[in-house]
Amino acid sequence: MQERILEILSEYCEEALTYNGDSMMEDGIIDSFTVINVVSDLEDEFDIEIDAKYVIAENFRNKEAIIALVQKLLEE
Amino acid sequence: MDMNTAFHRILILGYGKVTGEVLQYVCGRREEYGYRIEFIEHEIHPFSVTEQICATHKIPYRRITDKRELAAYLGQIEEKTLLISASNNFLFPASLVEKPHITIINFHNALLPAYPGRNAPTWVIYMGEKRTGITWHYVTAGVDEGSIIIQKECEITPDMKAYELTERLMDLAAEAFRESFAQIMAESVKAREQGFDPGRRMYRSFEVPSDGTFAMTDSPEEIYRLLRSVDYGKNNIFPPVKTTVDGQAAEILRYRKIPIDKRKDGEELLYLPLDGGNLLKIKYHFI
Repeated sequence: MQERILEILSEYCEEALTYNGDSMMEDGIIDSFTVINVVSDLEDEFDIEIDAKYVIAENFRNKEAIIALVQKLLEE
Repeated sequence: MDMNTAFHRILILGYGKVTGEVLQYVCGRREEYGYRIEFIEHEIHPFSVTEQICATHKIPYRRITDKRELAAYLGQIEEKTLLISASNNFLFPASLVEKPHITIINFHNALLPAYPGRNAPTWVIYMGEKRTGITWHYVTAGVDEGSIIIQKECEITPDMKAYELTERLMDLAAEAFRESFAQIMAESVKAREQGFDPGRRMYRSFEVPSDGTFAMTDSPEEIYRLLRSVDYGKNNIFPPVKTTVDGQAAEILRYRKIPIDKRKDGEELLYLPLDGGNLLKIKYHFI
C-alpha cells in the first residue's frame, strides 16, 4: 500500500518523496492542484472516499501524513 | 526609486495561486518603485499560503471576511492606490470604484466579453469550447465590464477538468500580470473597451450546468463533459452530480476515463463507451 501511495505522489511531485520537513504546502513542494490530483488517484486506487474535511494542509504536510490518512480511511 | 509611478500603495485582495504569484512579484519590485504593499485575505481557503508569503516578506496582512467591513476599510483609503483583485469574488461598491485616487484592476478567468460572471472554467468546458483564456481589466461599477488591459489564450484539451483549466488560467494570469505591470504603474496602458452586448449572459454563482444532473440517455461524451466541467476536486464549488440508475436516485462519487482493457466490474459502477477504445468509469452511490 505504501509503495503505491508513493508512486501516486511521485507522478505529481517527485520532490515530495525526498522531502523531510513538516509543511510541504508552505515550503512550496506541493500546491492545492497537486493535492486535488493526488486525492483523486488515491480514491480510485484504494476505492475510498476522502471527504473534504480531510483535505487540509495538516494531512498533506509530508508523505507520512498522506500514508497515515489513507490507512485511517481504509480502517474505517 | 528608479521607476516612475504615482501610486503610493498597492493593495492586493484575493486567494490562490495567482494571488500568491502577484504578491511575490509586486513585493520584488517595491524597491524600484517605492510603493507600500498591503494584502487583505477576504475568502479563506484551506491551502492558502498568502499569510506565509506576507510574513516572509514583511507585508502587512489583514483578514477581513465580512463584506461590509471590507467595503468600509477600502472606503477609508485616501492616498493614490492600485488595488489588485486576483481570484477574488468580492464586488467593489460603485462608491469605491468611482474614487479618482483608487485604480482597481481585476483578473477574470475567461476571454471577456465572453463568459462574464462566476465559474467561467466550468462554463467553457461544459459549452464545448476549444479555447479560452484570461483577462486583466480595469474595474468599473458593472461586473466584468471594464476596459481590457491584457488577455492571454490557451487550449481546452479534450480531457481537461475544471480544476486543471483553472490552474492553467492562473499561470497565464500571473504571466500577463508581469508583462503589463510597468504600464499599469505608469498609467500608460492602452486599454481596449470590451464592446459587449448589454444583454450578454452573465453566469451566476448559483447556476450549475445541466442543473448538476445527467440522464442515462445522454451521450457518454455529454456526461463526461458535464463531469469534467464541475470537477474542482474537493473544493465543493458544486454539489455532487446526480443521475438515476435503474430507477433509483444516485450521486456520482468519482469518474475516470480508462482504456477498455482496464475494465473491472463491481458494485455501483457504470462503464460508458468513449471514443478511441476508452470507457468512462463512473462510481456512484444510491441516495
